[in-house]
Amino acid sequence: MLTKDLISRIATATGFSKKQVEHLLSTNNAILRENLMAGKAVSLQGFGALEVKERAPRTIVHPRTGERTISPGKNQLVFRPVDNLKHELKKI
Amino acid sequence: MAEKLSWTELRRTLASRAGVSEKEANAFLTALNAEIVEALKTDKQVKINGLGIFKLQAVAPRKSVNVATGEAITIEGYNKVAFVPEAGVKELIERGGGVSSLPLPEGKQNEVSEVDPIKKLGSQAEEIVDILGELGQSPKEAEEPVKEPEIQEEPAKEPEVQEEPAKEPEPVFYAPQAQPALEPEPAKPEKKNHFLRDTMICVVILLALLLVGYFFLRSQLGNLIDSFIPNKAQTEQVAPIAPIVTKPEPEPVTAPNEVVEEVEAGEEELTPEQILAEFMAITDEAEEEEEKVEQPTVREDIYDGLITIEPMHEASRLTWMAKRFYGSKAYWPYIYEANKDHISNPDNIDVGTPIRVPKLTKAQMDTTSAAYKRILREAEEACRK
Repeated sequence: MLTKDLISRIATATGFSKKQVEHLLSTNNAILRENLMAGKAVSLQGFGALEVKERAPRTIVHPRTGERTISPGKNQLVFRPVDNLKHELKKI
Repeated sequence: MAEKLSWTELRRTLASRAGVSEKEANAFLTALNAEIVEALKTDKQVKINGLGIFKLQAVAPRKSVNVATGEAITIEGYNKVAFVPEAGVKELIERGGGVSSLPLPEGKQNEVSEVDPIKKLGSQAEEIVDILGELGQSPKEAEEPVKEPEIQEEPAKEPEVQEEPAKEPEPVFYAPQAQPALEPEPAKPEKKNHFLRDTMICVVILLALLLVGYFFLRSQLGNLIDSFIPNKAQTEQVAPIAPIVTKPEPEPVTAPNEVVEEVEAGEEELTPEQILAEFMAITDEAEEEEEKVEQPTVREDIYDGLITIEPMHEASRLTWMAKRFYGSKAYWPYIYEANKDHISNPDNIDVGTPIRVPKLTKAQMDTTSAAYKRILREAEEACRK
């Protein structure tokens, strides 16, 4: 499903206009991005949580040359669904 | 992470930013989450521009062992929700964290760390605001600093590979390779007529020289053959096999050229016996082309044809070859049968011995047939010898 379809479905579910939904969605995304970038997790009720996980720096070895380099650590964005959703989706 | 943006906070922020009431924001967010869940169930994928893609991924069932009892169990497959952040978002989050404060461990052997200078959080915040503005139009502008050293290495190697093919098409006059020299000709006539004429003359002279050299060496080696009569038995063994391995030469003119080339090269490095063996093999190829064609056809009454001929590897077995080519070790007797003219014991084959792998007919694939049992018995007997 694409964003466009999602917007129209939310619009019919809530009774907002599509434009309004689009505006809300983009604002929502911006808020999520900002918080995630600051390292904050965002909980989405009934759905799950978007979290930022820290990946520590590690040494990596080039398989062919045996050269050792340091791969700098990074932050990774992960999604953790709420428990009952996880179980619900497991078998479908 | 300890910090968390709660649902209420999110709702409140959204309401104030978007200029709607908190109630409306709540309705929107609830509907959003519900619709995403719904869409995951129906479409298995939801794309949200400016954030990423939520996917329902299938995890395949796998085998495992019960740690307590040692019993083999199967872990059933299931679905999980995966989130793939949009490219721009991913970069921003990767750079955004507190990892910068960690010192890089040093002192490992010959390490080359080309890590981008890591920025302080203050300057990062400014950058983030800038990039956020751009995100709408060009989310992919941000660069990934982590992988740069690896990526740079690979392109450095590629040109080497590309050079090799580039060299070949160049007109080569010095080596007696008539084929590469002939190939570029059709492409040139429009450009340089003089060059073409010169090329032709060169090629003709070269060919003439090579022919003279070939006949000269042949007469010389004729004497050599006589003096090495005891070796003849050996070379004759090699000869009938070698022609099968090399590809048939379509042009009769180029065949003699190659003979001279190989013999000339051989004279510098190889012992007389080896020259002789090579020479025998190559002349046989030219003269006895019919024999070459016959070799596989001899077996055509038994087999469907030839899959390939490959030399015996150090750690290989006929059974493994059978497994590789036919899917079952049971068919190894056929490989032995096809090669029994130069294999005495299928359990002990010299490394490098060329092995013919025949194509099997459907009837032969039947391991219960009498023919299969007969061949199997023969092969097993050969092992015992």
